Amino acid sequence: MTNKKKYEGNDMIVTVDVDKIYPNGCHALKKVTTNIQRGEVVVIIGPSGSGKSTYLRTLNQLETITSGEIIVDGVKMYGGETNINKLRENIGMVFQSFNLFPHLSVKENVMLAPLKVTGRSKAEVILEAEALLTRVGLAEKMDIYPSHLSGGQQQRVAIARALAMKPDMMLFDEPTSALDPEMVGEVLDVMKSLAAEGMTMVVVTHEMGFANEVADRVIFMEDGALLVDDIPENIFGKVANHPRLQKFLSNIL
Amino acid sequence: MNEKSNKLKWHLLFIFTIGLLAAGIYSASQSINYKWQWHLVWPYIVDTAPIDIIAQSDASAAINAEGEITLTYDNGDPDTIITNASEVLVYDGDLIFEGDLVARSESIKSGLLIDGLYMTLKISVISLFFSIVIGLMTALMRISDNPFSKNLSILYIEVIRGTPLLVQIFIVYFFLGTIFDLDRFTAGVVALSVFTGAYVAEILRSGIQSISAGQMEAARSLGMTYPKAMMYVILPQAFKRTLPPMAGQLINLIKDSSLVSVISITDLTKAGREVVSGSFATFEVWFTVAALYLLLTSTLSWAIQRIEKRLATND
Ligand SMILES: Nc1ncnc2c1ncn2[C@@H]1O[C@H](COP(=O)(O)OP(=O)(O)OP(=O)(O)O)[C@@H](O)[C@H]1O
Ligand SMILES: [Mg+2]
Repeated sequence: MTNKKKYEGNDMIVTVDVDKIYPNGCHALKKVTTNIQRGEVVVIIGPSGSGKSTYLRTLNQLETITSGEIIVDGVKMYGGETNINKLRENIGMVFQSFNLFPHLSVKENVMLAPLKVTGRSKAEVILEAEALLTRVGLAEKMDIYPSHLSGGQQQRVAIARALAMKPDMMLFDEPTSALDPEMVGEVLDVMKSLAAEGMTMVVVTHEMGFANEVADRVIFMEDGALLVDDIPENIFGKVANHPRLQKFLSNIL
Repeated sequence: MNEKSNKLKWHLLFIFTIGLLAAGIYSASQSINYKWQWHLVWPYIVDTAPIDIIAQSDASAAINAEGEITLTYDNGDPDTIITNASEVLVYDGDLIFEGDLVARSESIKSGLLIDGLYMTLKISVISLFFSIVIGLMTALMRISDNPFSKNLSILYIEVIRGTPLLVQIFIVYFFLGTIFDLDRFTAGVVALSVFTGAYVAEILRSGIQSISAGQMEAARSLGMTYPKAMMYVILPQAFKRTLPPMAGQLINLIKDSSLVSVISITDLTKAGREVVSGSFATFEVWFTVAALYLLLTSTLSWAIQRIEKRLATND
């Protein structure tokens, strides 16, 4: 692999012994420990129900954790004084089901949070929204409502919406799983360009091509535990070292 | 083609049935020798009774060529000049005593029924506003995780929905009204708003809960606080979704407002009762009252349909 970035080596997301037990007793995360560094692209793979989404969602506290510690950009997430809304401004998230706001136009979707959360002026926010939408190839669709867009276009709007808050890291939870196959590429292209710019990214996906090409590290989860955490070459190349991973990959490839 | 003429047949049958119904009502009233006197209702809609102009104190009257009457008071008060008399009841130079009828002037006023309609409209609009405020607050409390807010809102909703509005109006008027010294109108508004608010709360709650959880998550993940996410993302969608049941509830509010007549608020219903006892045109008056209610409710439902159409263009 030639496109691996050199990152500075400072930690962006640190998770230490994170356990998550849902109120119904489901033990979704078991002692998950890993560091994600600034500018790093980490892809998380694993079978359904292995806790990938749960882990991703603990990183911006859409799920609270039962025990352990999460430190984002040097800030303890569960430190007494931590303002979770401030923290979230810095962590963009893209969902499998897009979750665009259907009552707002594409441009308004992108503008809402910057207008209501940050102190930026409206004129500035409009310009940024237009630039972002142009960047994801939707300059023509700014005044349309989301329901009139294809899945691929909606997901690109969702990425632009997250980027509008100028986050330092982005979380993607199966961003292409709800898309028709012919639209997967356009979304992955946007994500690749983000990675190339040095955005810190944590991506849950079944797109092994993307993982192989873009990821700095691949994490394999099973049954709530982090089983393998390695560079893609070792994940896809020396798969025989990890029988469970080998079984998973042979099932989906 | 065939289908079209088929439809036409049913339209004709509909019109025929309505005609039959009207004829039935008419002949039924004939059989009890009821004499329809619609003209008796008119004065209670537009009141054209002339206004009496009465002398304030002893005076002498002068009438000039234009027909203006000037009253010069013996006690030196400034003169009264009457220019709009439709009927003059004094002669030039007459001596007039305090309380004498000097002249009558024409007037067009809203009749008792229209005054009642206005009162119904006023009490409904004010109650509508407060019931939405109360309903929204209650709905937000109802879905919160805080046991205090949640239980308080459940208690409120259950108590209000479990007791008759008429009883609530009496309790507000006689109990709260006495303690807090509320006038009838305020008591009526409080009772109607609190009653309707409970139903609005349930409608809004189900509307809010029908919005997918992903909407709240997307908003929160962008750094929006819960109140902001509610205000800018969830509620606009929930309001839109709840418009049809909300329309029904607000139409109920207008109809329910007729119950405040029991605490002597002269709304449309109370006005109807008064007009019946003044005119004895019982059937005509109640039909008119019904038509006026229908006017209010159909206007509201038309307005809400307009809003619905406007919002529907977005998706
Ligand atoms: N809100 C919840 N309440 C209770 N249990 C949950 C909840 N969300 C997820 N779980 C459970 O936690 C475990 C991990 O779920 P999670 O969604 O994180 O898996 P995943 O790896 O993302 O799976 P998938 O590939 O299907 O998205 C599963 O057993 C799931 O049933
Ligand atoms: Mg998942």
